[in-house]
Amino acid sequence: MENGSHGSINLGGGGEAADMSGKVHLLPCSVKFDGACSVSQYFRPKPTELEVEGLRVDEAHFRGRKLQGTSIALPQGFSGFVLQKKGLGKRKASDMFEGSENCWETNAKFRNITYWKHDSLPSQHDTFLRSFHWLAVAKAMYLPVEAEELVAASIALDKMK
Amino acid sequence: MVSEAGAPKWATQPCIMGIDEAGRGPVLGPMVYGCLYCPRSYQKTLASLNFADSKTLKEEKREELFENLKADESIGWDVDVIDPRELSAKMLKKNKINLNEISHESAIGLIKKVLNMGVLLTEVYLDTVGDAEKYRIKLSERFPAVKFVVSKKADSLYPVVSGASIVAKVTRDRALREWVLDETAENMHRNFGSGYPGDPETKAWLQRHKHSVFGFPTLVRFSWGTCTPYIKELVEVLWESDIDEDSSCGKQQLKLSNFGVTTSKRKSEEIESTGKGRCKFFQARKLQQLTHF
Repeated sequence: MENGSHGSINLGGGGEAADMSGKVHLLPCSVKFDGACSVSQYFRPKPTELEVEGLRVDEAHFRGRKLQGTSIALPQGFSGFVLQKKGLGKRKASDMFEGSENCWETNAKFRNITYWKHDSLPSQHDTFLRSFHWLAVAKAMYLPVEAEELVAASIALDKMK
Repeated sequence: MVSEAGAPKWATQPCIMGIDEAGRGPVLGPMVYGCLYCPRSYQKTLASLNFADSKTLKEEKREELFENLKADESIGWDVDVIDPRELSAKMLKKNKINLNEISHESAIGLIKKVLNMGVLLTEVYLDTVGDAEKYRIKLSERFPAVKFVVSKKADSLYPVVSGASIVAKVTRDRALREWVLDETAENMHRNFGSGYPGDPETKAWLQRHKHSVFGFPTLVRFSWGTCTPYIKELVEVLWESDIDEDSSCGKQQLKLSNFGVTTSKRKSEEIESTGKGRCKFFQARKLQQLTHF
């Protein structure tokens, strides 16, 4: 496990994946259930008049708790995928750890996600929103460095001394 | 007449008000606080209007009395309808608000509203919620100019409270009758009975409308003890707020990830989002490297 595992994710094939945009929710709880569920019949988010730090607040209830959340578009150039392990259910548990069997298929795609909070309003300080900062940092880190930038950086460093 | 139109002509005379609730016990539907007020000089006439504790009256009689008091120009009234979603949410908040507190706040809200309208309230009568004397002191501190009478069975002792109980009860019954379920699952119906835990119709309705993931329609007060045996049969749902509470003895902070998908415990300091060995940037954003899935 230390070395990670080998596997493949098929993001294309199998015809058009369903678009789940507007239907992907991140709840502030752990639901011990994995499978299909009549979400849209029971989970009924409603828009509110509230807007916090540029985030439009929606309201919903789950298991008696009041949730406040907001929908955000995934950053440009990124897509959300709902993946399912190929042939899951037919395989033995022991297969799960074999890299060669670790194949995932796209069930659906999404372009936005709604994340929910219990008892507090969404905010730009939420770790979920802040985690997207990584994308910009990663991009900058892997961008090739130009000669002029190196010069500019060393001048700046000298000035600091 | 309906209070919305502003203060009635007699508002500047010393007035009395009664406050009572309907639907405190039932496991479903709204809880309604109602108030009725009139000039003190009208008190005798009020006593002759045959208001009685709403529970002792038949539904048609209550409806008739409600229509009568609405048409009575010497009577003002108002209601506060507390949605079952609000009741559940408040009682299941991280900092839980109990039903007594919700009740107190509702009554206080009604008093404030009537005073703000310009009605000269001198005496307010209410049924007790919790300890009568503590409740009386709480109200007197908020509204020093008003004399409060807090007593058990106020709804059968004081006609002005009996009237308020009719206002509350009729409003709750109507709200339930006209309730539109938010959920759209098939085969749902509204024959939920009285909503009292002992009512066989209510029990059958709860049994039929429970959902393994979502629990119940939002008409149900999830925070009620009546729900507990049903909820035990459902898919388990863990909330951060509950987890914190369970571990309140130690100051150990438990994360939701401990109960969900976790990687091996080895090297957790380097891998886990809030591990000590992690760069601050990742810690603050709870970013975690996933090497195996």
